[in-house]
Amino acid sequence: MKRWWLILCLLLLVIAPLFFTEFYLSILCEALVMTMLTLSFNLLFGFMGQLSFGQAAFYGLGGYTVAMLMTKVQFNFWLSLAAGVVMAGLIGLIVGFFCVRLRGIYFAILTLAFGQLIFFVIFKWHNFTGGDDGIQGVFPPVYLKSPTTYYYFILIIFIASTFLMWRILHSPFGQTLKAMRENPERTEFLGINIARYQLSAFVIAAAFAGLAGAIWVPFYRSVAPSYLTWIKSGEPVMAAILGGPSTFFGPVLGMFIMTFFHAWVLGFTHFWPVVMGILILTIIFLLPGGILGFAQEKLKQRRERLASSNEQP
Amino acid sequence: MSNLDLFLQTEKLVKDFGKLRAVNGVTLSIHQGDVHAIIGPNGAGKSTFFNLITGYHVANSGKVLFKGKEITKVPSYKRCKLGITRSFQITSIFPKFNVYESVLMALLSHRKVTSNLIAPAKRFFKEEVWRILEDVGLADQARHTGDSISHGDKKRLELAITLGTEPQLLLLDEPTCGMSPEETENTMVLIKKLAEERGLTILFTEHDMGVVFGIARRISVLHQGSLIADGKPEEVRASEEVQKVYLGGTA
Repeated sequence: MKRWWLILCLLLLVIAPLFFTEFYLSILCEALVMTMLTLSFNLLFGFMGQLSFGQAAFYGLGGYTVAMLMTKVQFNFWLSLAAGVVMAGLIGLIVGFFCVRLRGIYFAILTLAFGQLIFFVIFKWHNFTGGDDGIQGVFPPVYLKSPTTYYYFILIIFIASTFLMWRILHSPFGQTLKAMRENPERTEFLGINIARYQLSAFVIAAAFAGLAGAIWVPFYRSVAPSYLTWIKSGEPVMAAILGGPSTFFGPVLGMFIMTFFHAWVLGFTHFWPVVMGILILTIIFLLPGGILGFAQEKLKQRRERLASSNEQP
Repeated sequence: MSNLDLFLQTEKLVKDFGKLRAVNGVTLSIHQGDVHAIIGPNGAGKSTFFNLITGYHVANSGKVLFKGKEITKVPSYKRCKLGITRSFQITSIFPKFNVYESVLMALLSHRKVTSNLIAPAKRFFKEEVWRILEDVGLADQARHTGDSISHGDKKRLELAITLGTEPQLLLLDEPTCGMSPEETENTMVLIKKLAEERGLTILFTEHDMGVVFGIARRISVLHQGSLIADGKPEEVRASEEVQKVYLGGTA
């Protein structure tokens, strides 16, 4: 079985509520949701080769849409989730329209600027969004109220969206994104309209981020403007670099390590950013390419050595 | 003959870069099925002329017509869909894609399946990819990544990628640039074979006169942006003006 480790991880996630305390179960929920955000970020960064520094804005938009619909107009839970995804995708379409014209650092800066713009609108528009108070009292439907049930709900959405993301990245569309990362000029001369494909990917990534925010808010019962800040946008960046942006599961590993490490370190020090900084520095210098990226490279080199030593005698 | 003349035409094509006129009123017809060389000294405007045909640059004035339709301002990705594909002087491949994936990418694009979000890409066009790889002689290197193969093989890979778009007109910018004499010889044979078997029209630039007179059926000579000769190899060789500016020079 080639993917035994994947089955094992899934099994562990399924039985996690049996041996996790409620505190660590909520950390696990956060890890799953933030991993969805990281995968959406890495669709653009690791596979299309564009660094988005405003991905949290779409995460926050998904969350705010759900919170406002459910508390202000008592909208149906499921429809609110769908609305959160659509809202993030729509704003993604507008923001993406401008951003995909740029490359490299200019793309990163423009996504950062748009992210902060959306953050400030929500932060300042007090009588519509609750401003810096955020919105409290966002409750999931009764049948999802217990943390364990909601955990399973998040897990199902997580598995489904991760599977979908995996399929997208291995589809002809995903292959086109990778080709644009590898060599945009060559790709264009194969008949690909670069801007159009980058925009599609941007909207898909925004919708995934929106879904992550949308399912997190009813679990946490509230939403706050801090969800949209550039600091939040930086988390998937660090997680992807930590785990290995060139691999599919690297960012997943990175975000799990970050979330649990964070929860654990906070138990005895408030200097979390220092610890995180040292961790990132260590990875960059000792394991270039991130944990999984580095491991994959080493495995490949070993295979090639074995192959060439087999040829010699 | 009138049908042949309707393949690729340029009319009084002009391209300026600031005060420099790189292409100066070039009117030229490329016939379907020809292997056509554009030659000229460094800075003669060969690459710029190429770029105007592929849409990399847009002309300041004049027209480019492909099969009777004006394409002067059509963006490059659309020209590719019409059947015009190019290679680059500095080899342009996908470094981390393996040879197979690189050619597959061209087919995915050309056969318009790149909007498919769900089906695994590797299930598409197996036969077509292998046929191209065998044609160019890269089948045994299918699993090697683009950045790990030799320089000559990279050039052949780029040729294979361009074939994946199933072009009618193939533009090759110095296809043997940087190759050893043996690789050059192989590439010439390959280009000739492809033109014959696939009915391709090939327009290429080249420094190596051995290659040019070896495979071109027609030659056009550019000098300082202007067309100074155009015809069969023996006619061009006989032209006094060509000898003066080019062939008879120190080269």
